Amino acid sequence: MSGIGPVEPDGDTRPLDPPPVAPRPRGGPRTRMTRRHRGAAAAAFLTVAALTAGTLLYVTRPRPGPPPEPRFPSQTTSFRYLYMQVRDTDARPREFEFTIQTFTESDAPVTVLGISQPYAGLSLISRPETPLRVKGGGSRKIAVTVRVADCGKVPRNAGLPFLDVTLRNTRAKEAHSYILGACYARDLSRALEEACGNEIR
Amino acid sequence: MRQRSLIAITAALAAGALTLTACGSRDDNGGGSDSGNGDTTVVIGVDAPLTGDLSALGLGIKNSVDLATKIANKEKYVEGVTFKIEALDDQGQASVGQQNATKLVANKDVLGVVGPLNSSVGESMQKVFDSAKLVEVSPANTNPALTQGVNWQTKKERPYKSYFRTATTDAIQGPFAAQYVFNEAKKKKVFVIDDKKTYGAGLAATFTAEFKELGGQVVGTEHINPESKDFSAVATKVKNSGADVVYYGGEYPQAGPLSKQIKEAGAKIPLVGGDGIYSADFIKLSGAAGTGDLATSVGAPVESLPSAKEFVANYKAEGYKEAYEAYGGYSYDSAWAIIEAVKKVVEDNDGKLPDDARAKVVDAMQNVSFDGVTGKVSFDEFGDATNKQLTVYTVKGGDWATVKSGTFTG
Repeated sequence: MSGIGPVEPDGDTRPLDPPPVAPRPRGGPRTRMTRRHRGAAAAAFLTVAALTAGTLLYVTRPRPGPPPEPRFPSQTTSFRYLYMQVRDTDARPREFEFTIQTFTESDAPVTVLGISQPYAGLSLISRPETPLRVKGGGSRKIAVTVRVADCGKVPRNAGLPFLDVTLRNTRAKEAHSYILGACYARDLSRALEEACGNEIR
Repeated sequence: MRQRSLIAITAALAAGALTLTACGSRDDNGGGSDSGNGDTTVVIGVDAPLTGDLSALGLGIKNSVDLATKIANKEKYVEGVTFKIEALDDQGQASVGQQNATKLVANKDVLGVVGPLNSSVGESMQKVFDSAKLVEVSPANTNPALTQGVNWQTKKERPYKSYFRTATTDAIQGPFAAQYVFNEAKKKKVFVIDDKKTYGAGLAATFTAEFKELGGQVVGTEHINPESKDFSAVATKVKNSGADVVYYGGEYPQAGPLSKQIKEAGAKIPLVGGDGIYSADFIKLSGAAGTGDLATSVGAPVESLPSAKEFVANYKAEGYKEAYEAYGGYSYDSAWAIIEAVKKVVEDNDGKLPDDARAKVVDAMQNVSFDGVTGKVSFDEFGDATNKQLTVYTVKGGDWATVKSGTFTG
């Protein structure tokens, strides 16, 4: 809405009253114009002015800006802990597996480039392997195998253990930590206890 | 921009002339002022420390709420309602906060309150607001007990239905810091200090518990008097303890000088704190020695969120003298949550505020959900924010720099 108002008469189509006759100016010669000619000239002038103004407004109209940048991948991606599976505790290497599910909120796909955790005594392998793509608005389950390399360097009872994830979308590549909550923390502690027994610090 | 205005004016004049010439009348688009929305005034109360040591954070809260009301009025977001703010100064003191709560309850136009900054102040206000069924949304209170009850570690129980917050709790913030300090900063021996207040002591406790569980060692603990600025005795103890990091539960007016004095005592180790030290004033107070100090704060860095760009631009355009600081985005979202709740109540009542508007706003708040400055804004069954992000910052080049962000999804 421009706020300029209608160009055409709105509901009233009566002919306009003729403009009053202007007093004849004094002085030199002038082109003689009839009332009809003057009216036509005025109408032509106003039409041209309106068209010019309209064209200028159109040409200089505000253009829609570039589409908004996609959000950072961590702002559209979530990870949820599902369950833990402890394997034979006597087996070597000592390992266990947990399953997580990742979700993306937006239409933009996200690629999970890597999954890790900060404890020196543990290493992770994911299935499917990274990099793995999650389509926009989609979800994927990921099985993570945890290999215990050094029981002396694992947490005994971490309250809010991190899962470190590297993500990429069209906006950025980003390292982000996900804190999977109390259930993950509890199950991780139990699994580590079973894997390490008394060796845990 | 200027050129375009000129063209627009020319065009308007030309077309206007044609219209006048053609029909001798003009369209009446209703007239009226473009400021102010209607007949009903709804006041959003603000309680924060507007004077004193913590005023940098408090004024950022006040300005951000003011901005939210201005935007809502400009957009005529709630038809027939004009929002105003009433900002009261609690000076960071629980007793003053309680008096302010009583004052806000007495103003019948107040349908919601944003604040306070300090958990101890929040604690003193909750009952007053809840008795009056007046909704309170804190952008900054992080003590878990405020929403989950004093026994939150064993049995979560919401104490007040009218209390909500957009900030993440220390139940997450303390362990988040511990995880970072132990695993990534590789610090194994901590000296823990707090200011004995609800926020500081609570945060220090949740940090300590997690740090120990990870295998870290607490080599000393101390409490400081927040009224004092001389921490030399504590600084000497830190130096002699062999700690490789200090964790401080408290706020920047004390944390700044404490950091400086610890380094002056010869302990060249970082001080780590929570959102209470995440302020530009901490950097001023700690001086050059503060470089390398760390803070966790609630949420993602506001500047990194596309949703925050408009907030930052609007804040700048309004010309507020003070920065929006750590809680600006959360304060804006807190105010907007109240605006959304008022909108719902008005729309459900044929465009008018009902007689029991306050109680209805409390009910509506529970289901509020919108994309705010800080991301998705909504509340869980305890009144806590469902968006639980945290970020580690470090002092670098005289400013806070982002180190790492994490999201609680449990």
